[in-house]
Amino acid sequence: MSALDRLPSGHGDRALIAGVVCLLVGALFALTPLRVQLPSAFYVFVEVGILFVIYGVLVLGLDLQYGHTGLVNFGHVVFFAVGAYATAMLSAQDTFAGIGLGYPWPLGLAAGVIAAAILGAAVSLTSIRLRGDFLAIVTLATAEIFHSVFVNFDNIFGGNVGILGVPRPIAALVTDSDTRLVATLLVLGGVTLLTLAIVTRLTEAPYGRVLRAIRADELVTRSVGKSTITYKTQAFVYGAALAGFAGGLFALYNGAVAPGFFTIQVTVTVWIGMLLGGAANHRAVLAGLAIIMGLRLVSRFALDVTPVSGDVFASIRLIVVGLILVAVIRYRPAGIWGDPQELGVDQ
Amino acid sequence: MGLLQELVFGLVTGSYIAIAAIGFTLIYGIVNMINFAYGEYISLGAFIGFLAANTLPGPLPVAVVAAMIGGGVVSIVLARGFFTPINQTGPVPMLLTSIGLGIALRNGIRLVGGRSARYFETDTSTFRFDALPDIPIGPVDLLGGFFVTSEHLIVIGSAAAVFAAVHLLLTRTDVGIAMRAMGDDESLARVRGIDTQLIRDSVWILAGVLAGLAGVLMAVQTNVSADTGYSHILQILSAAILGGAGSPYGAILGAYVIGLVLAVSTAFLPSSMTGLSSAMAFVILIAVLLVKPSGIAGTEVREA
Repeated sequence: MSALDRLPSGHGDRALIAGVVCLLVGALFALTPLRVQLPSAFYVFVEVGILFVIYGVLVLGLDLQYGHTGLVNFGHVVFFAVGAYATAMLSAQDTFAGIGLGYPWPLGLAAGVIAAAILGAAVSLTSIRLRGDFLAIVTLATAEIFHSVFVNFDNIFGGNVGILGVPRPIAALVTDSDTRLVATLLVLGGVTLLTLAIVTRLTEAPYGRVLRAIRADELVTRSVGKSTITYKTQAFVYGAALAGFAGGLFALYNGAVAPGFFTIQVTVTVWIGMLLGGAANHRAVLAGLAIIMGLRLVSRFALDVTPVSGDVFASIRLIVVGLILVAVIRYRPAGIWGDPQELGVDQ
Repeated sequence: MGLLQELVFGLVTGSYIAIAAIGFTLIYGIVNMINFAYGEYISLGAFIGFLAANTLPGPLPVAVVAAMIGGGVVSIVLARGFFTPINQTGPVPMLLTSIGLGIALRNGIRLVGGRSARYFETDTSTFRFDALPDIPIGPVDLLGGFFVTSEHLIVIGSAAAVFAAVHLLLTRTDVGIAMRAMGDDESLARVRGIDTQLIRDSVWILAGVLAGLAGVLMAVQTNVSADTGYSHILQILSAAILGGAGSPYGAILGAYVIGLVLAVSTAFLPSSMTGLSSAMAFVILIAVLLVKPSGIAGTEVREA
């Protein structure tokens, strides 16, 4: 019997083990004098990879809301932004503009999760009963309101400059930039895998079955005695809290937050990733997100070999992204790895 | 500036938002989808109008007609290509499709038209009313002198003409009556022998024509760029929902409420926070959905 056979078979348990391994290896780089040297062509991969694992936590939260429960949250970026701002404002030291309280960063991260969860609770208490497309509009409008609040109250949120001087725990431990990038990717990747393990446990439990039953037919679910509003509110708040967690990680990785990081583009990216991969399947949504974010790499490399300007290329990439969304909904409504029968979209 | 001046601006904003909101709400009521790409129809209309104004020899009205025809053609072609094939899938997939289409169109326009904003050159005459006394209350002047330009009058006048035309269309013509019947109950309309696909197509054309007109008016007031329409889409949406999604008359009312609230909040907010005035529209939107989701006149949008 080889060691491979003794590995647990469930997706959740495997993600748990992989996450712990990633965290340990990341900690090895961060805490010991062990150093790595990256070839310069790899930088861009590692940077996009770090952003991918942070967005991965976002897409897992969104998948809990839309994929499992059927809640159309089209303002997911607002929870990401609120988490990031709360973390930044509590932990930033000597920020150039806005408020920085200088508390230890774990406190900031916790506050980020809590702030996003509270906002999620507020949105769901008021709007969870709305029909799908109107819930999408309310969440979208919420995101726009917060965006303009962040831009306009520069005494509190630092305006367009945002909040600088957020502590970077990993950067503080590792001075060498190559090792720092690798350690960041491993630690954040490990956190994303642990998140994957947790949401997998949640949705494989009977609790997840109730969520999927709500998505399939809310009336039937209610008729078997489940309080669908309670379940929907909980799923929404969990998703919002995960997005706030991702926001806090982003602030602590980036060392600064600004409104420019939290545009509707973030929402669109995670949505397209989720739909492309296949909603209601945790690993599929991560794979879909990887494809969409991989397009950034393609366009960055293509930029070097083609004679067009960066602006033109950005436009072309977004045209492709928009058409992918259209094509997925029309020709593969369940996504690449989704189950059409389970999602109820087979025509 | 006095409050009266802001009210004039509010009326102008309300007017072009109203024209667009009628088209938006008709699509909502009859095709049963929130069309998030509608802002791009408006931008396309603005660009077609701008091209026509610079290449055709005629005056501004020629450009307006060109934009309206162009808007109608764009709308029906896009609807046939993207929305009609997935008509049966329900509101959420159609909303998502329109978001994807909107991104693609917006960046397509940016690719072809470039990033810089262009401006319509129009001859403007200004009518000033300076004799009114100031009534300052705190930092806000409740009356004060104001001015109206001929552009303002054109926008408000076109809006009034559109309201009359849409009203006549919906109440006096067979197509309009069929549209209202379909908005009410599609199956019953089909039972009565209405060709629902034909009506849907005519709604798409009408909405495109209105988007073209709104595009030129917005462009005259602001500028022509890839974001001309997109920067207004949430206000249009708020106006339509405020009025009761699907109701053109409600949309008109909603648009003027939005326009006036934007203008008044600009007057009352401290100058460092005028950027917040656009958020006011969304605050109204959320408030309406919470308090009276059916809007001023319209149907229930809550499920449970």
